[in-house]
Amino acid sequence: MIKKIASPKIVIVPCSGIGKTYGAVSREAAYIITEDLRPEAAQLVALSMLVLGDESTRAVVATNAAITIDGCKLACASKMVKESGGRVAMEVDVLDVYRRNKQFKPQGIGELNEGGLQLAKALADEVAATIDTLAIKKHGGQDA
Amino acid sequence: MPDLPKKKVGIVSCSGEELAEGTVTRLAALRVLEQLRPGDTVTICLPLFLAGGEGDRAFARFYPTIAVDGCELRCAARATEMYSSKPAASIMVRDVVMENGLAQPEGRRRLNAVGLQAVEATARQMAATVDVLLGKHWDRKSGSFVEPGTVLPASGDGKETEKDATCSCGSEIPIQKVTINGQIVNLVALPLIFQQFHEGGKPPTPDTIREIMDTVKIYNPIPPDENEAYATVLSHEYEIYCEKEEAAT
Repeated sequence: MIKKIASPKIVIVPCSGIGKTYGAVSREAAYIITEDLRPEAAQLVALSMLVLGDESTRAVVATNAAITIDGCKLACASKMVKESGGRVAMEVDVLDVYRRNKQFKPQGIGELNEGGLQLAKALADEVAATIDTLAIKKHGGQDA
Repeated sequence: MPDLPKKKVGIVSCSGEELAEGTVTRLAALRVLEQLRPGDTVTICLPLFLAGGEGDRAFARFYPTIAVDGCELRCAARATEMYSSKPAASIMVRDVVMENGLAQPEGRRRLNAVGLQAVEATARQMAATVDVLLGKHWDRKSGSFVEPGTVLPASGDGKETEKDATCSCGSEIPIQKVTINGQIVNLVALPLIFQQFHEGGKPPTPDTIREIMDTVKIYNPIPPDENEAYATVLSHEYEIYCEKEEAAT
């Protein structure tokens, strides 16, 4: 169940894709970001809550910058955040990350293979770098 | 009415990323789709009801659908009803956990042993529900059963054959764009309707077009004052379809 964020964070919204390995990569990457790399700065938001139109989830998305991670070109996560009144600070397409990291070939949906886990980590590293950039801007650093 | 594609059961899981029970729904759905009932089940990503097209939103009307949710919010069941049609059955992991005397699943990222037991119990219940739904008559016009009220069993068993999950990046319900009075309209299931009529040996006569119209209306709203325009366009499109099919044989 989503909790109100005490201080502004970046919300991470993976796509919930269930039929392809890239959906599993998006989910795994979201966990790496919010649990391992930037737990203080990032919060996971369940896409199903946005689909349902849950008010508290919509409020969280509407008041915090979002990073969406999509497993296919239909870009459900990105579309849902925008339709919920959110601001997408970064849209990540897993396939694009794979094109930059072809040594990590993902397989499996319920359980990712080693390549899938490594691809998720590479994606999470990219997102973490963006989170850091957004934090610098927010605190009056090198604003663009 | 033509018998449109083989009856399958739709699976919609909440896949809630925030809770271990959400992970249970996702893995249980995959177990049913890939191992317990491959060939009898299809799935769709929940957000496609909003982010997708008309074909996606027709999913739960086209297929009797089982919504599987992790918690009491029942996002999958409620969103499916809001945007597509009422699910034929609804299963919640927390109920399954309680009914099976399991402890609380933990580990949304990597389920603990109890979580994996919950996956198995939920998948078995889903598979049993699939069997029940396949044995009933589904009315695609109303998106409901003709004889409702069957009590769904709480456990099941089945042959296990591994198969890839059906792609969920879309409902797999085909649509066809046609132009009616200058407006482009997406008609859900039209390619399948044409296919079934052609395979049934029905030539593009006025009688056939009337039947096609009746079938198209099951899946698509047609304003009464545009009946004639639709009939004209469908007649033309069906003639083209038949010519193409006959040229290919």
